Amino acid sequence: MKTIDLVERIEGEAKLHCTWSNKKVSDARIDFLNFRGFEYILEGKSPLDALVYTPRICGICGQAHLKATVDALENIYENINEKLQVTQKAKLLRQIGLNIEIIDSHLKWFYMFIMPDIIKLDTNDLGIYMPLKGSRWMEAQKSASETIKALAIIGGQWPHTSYMLPGGVMSDPTKLDLVMMQNYLQNTISFFEKSISGVSLENYLDFNSIDNLENLSADLKYFKDLSFKYTLEKYGKSHNRFITLGESSLFKRGKIKQRLVHKLDFSKIVDDSSYSFSINKEENNSQKHTWSKSVSYDESFFETGPLSRAIISNRKFIKEIHKSFEDSVFTRVMARIDEMAFLLFETNKLILQVDVSELSYIKPKYSLKDVENAKAIAVVEACRGSLLHNISIEKGLIKSYDVITPTVWNLGPKNKTQKGIAQKAIIGSPSIEIAKIVLRSFDVCSVCTTH
Amino acid sequence: MITKNKPTVVWFCAITCNGNTHSLLSANANRFELFLNSFDFIYHPSLTVDKSLDDILAYEEKIDFLLIEGAISSNKDFSTISNDSTFNLLNKLALKSNHIIAVGSCASYGGIHSKFRQNSDVCGLQDALDENILKTLQHEIVNLTGCPVHPEWILQTLFTLKAYGKIALDEVGRPKELYGSLAHHGCTKNEYFEWKIEGKFGQKEGCLFYDQGCRGPMTHSSCNKILWNDISSKTRVGMPCIGCTESEFPRNDMLETKKNIGIPHEVPLGISKRAYLSMSGVAKTFKIDRLHKKLME
Repeated sequence: MKTIDLVERIEGEAKLHCTWSNKKVSDARIDFLNFRGFEYILEGKSPLDALVYTPRICGICGQAHLKATVDALENIYENINEKLQVTQKAKLLRQIGLNIEIIDSHLKWFYMFIMPDIIKLDTNDLGIYMPLKGSRWMEAQKSASETIKALAIIGGQWPHTSYMLPGGVMSDPTKLDLVMMQNYLQNTISFFEKSISGVSLENYLDFNSIDNLENLSADLKYFKDLSFKYTLEKYGKSHNRFITLGESSLFKRGKIKQRLVHKLDFSKIVDDSSYSFSINKEENNSQKHTWSKSVSYDESFFETGPLSRAIISNRKFIKEIHKSFEDSVFTRVMARIDEMAFLLFETNKLILQVDVSELSYIKPKYSLKDVENAKAIAVVEACRGSLLHNISIEKGLIKSYDVITPTVWNLGPKNKTQKGIAQKAIIGSPSIEIAKIVLRSFDVCSVCTTH
Repeated sequence: MITKNKPTVVWFCAITCNGNTHSLLSANANRFELFLNSFDFIYHPSLTVDKSLDDILAYEEKIDFLLIEGAISSNKDFSTISNDSTFNLLNKLALKSNHIIAVGSCASYGGIHSKFRQNSDVCGLQDALDENILKTLQHEIVNLTGCPVHPEWILQTLFTLKAYGKIALDEVGRPKELYGSLAHHGCTKNEYFEWKIEGKFGQKEGCLFYDQGCRGPMTHSSCNKILWNDISSKTRVGMPCIGCTESEFPRNDMLETKKNIGIPHEVPLGISKRAYLSMSGVAKTFKIDRLHKKLME
């Protein structure tokens, strides 16, 4: 038997094909059918205009694209031996902005994109979690909208600010602005403590064993109880391989196949279009079914995202959960919420490190319009995992701009030798409801996947 | 006219980054709650759980307010939603709707997505809608341009249409009261503009019109009147306005000012170059120390 389901209430839309045998999914296929052509749009544009274009690849993770563009353009300078000087203040304000966007995204994802489906396994009455109506859902919207104000202080607005640029940032916050940012994040911390974890942030961040699951209360306890009741710790398992390309004070770079390796060779990242549509119609054939490409490292598929980051960066609580439940739905959801807690704590620390007396921006001596020929790549850890931008400039204009989003790693199709990450995770699901929850556990962003 | 107490709202996502959805979700929570209490928001592909798009299409009653996010295309090779083209879906939904509101620049005129030349028919609502359907609407299409749109612009438009049944529009279909003024109005850097003091990126002082490409004086929007996320705006923090509410957006070289012999190629809207140059000349003859100093040391 085969089923085809449209999956809504993700970022965009996906089509999930399942083949069933013995009441379980025996094969799966995920189609993303909207292609917006950002890489084509960017061809021939001035390099700095990419700062306005790339955030608009995605309405929820635009700041990750902005930072990737800035890093790529700064790497262009480095590659032509004109390395820019960027102050610590500017670097901090970029990382802080990106973190706030990730916190906002994780919060919305939990309440808007996955909890309703998990609760529906148990009851059709979503009660306080009912979208647009339930009191908790409304509180989550409020908390998200308050959280993002912290970013608007340095970005002017969210979504779609382009406040970062090669050489620094455009804004110059006062100390009072920084205090306001901490205040907004304090509200988010209070929401986390009261409604999500039910324990203090400090207490939560001390969790280091599987037994600490018993200390959870509030919505994370509700999630945990439902997960165990419907065995979500058993479903959603994929290759159990992880990769994190970006490196910062918060996350370590590395991959795990059999063992953890921190050194990566980006030339081993290869994308594949065997099953992906081409804009040249004559290249399409019956086996092509999605606009998403697939991407591998050293010929293997890897999962990227909060779970990967937690494991590679050695965050104890999630590592312990992973040890027991591997790369299951349960582990993936816990990793995303755990990352929210981690980033709330760390971002406040980063704000305290900002020295307002430093310069926000140091103007590059050389214009990118004068670059004859140069290439650069940049990697950034975005909400959903590792984001790679690869730019080439010729005669002062963008010659090519290649974007590999986190969701391509996680949601791209199979290749000739192995199944895709989400595809493999869905196989074995006992119902379409569980299959969809497995898909959701990757935090599906179809707009990013195909861009 | 609207007869029910709570008018129904349907939000359709066409070819979009979902930025307008996230802008809406970032609305002031009290205002958002009032909106949800005053309207029956029956469908949004990213938010509601109880209905699918197919349910909405099969829905017999009229939709009071159809909100469209994203550009429209009839080309199914590049884009399908619920197995159909955004062009077909728009027209099917429009046929069942009393009001249509374009939410954001993509829905209004194609926006950034119309720059994808390989898909040549990406456009905004007006160009995609069947003329006969347009005649059945209770009101002209309302274009809420902006990339993204400000959530308040959506809410104020809906509340106004609910209360008065009519909203005054400019020649490109935007509510006059939201787009009649310029992004420049209310910018905290206005004094630097008046005295022609050039700004630099990363500084509180100076105006971004002269070098950084700020479109504030040429862009219709209320960004500095109805602040973003309740607290700020791009120009207030030091990012130039990129003119995202106007149909030329996105232009080329958005972060620099095009100049001829040191003078901005484009001058503020409706002001003759001669008038602008005379005023600038006068302003520049005075050196005002306060405006050349740092605001705070």
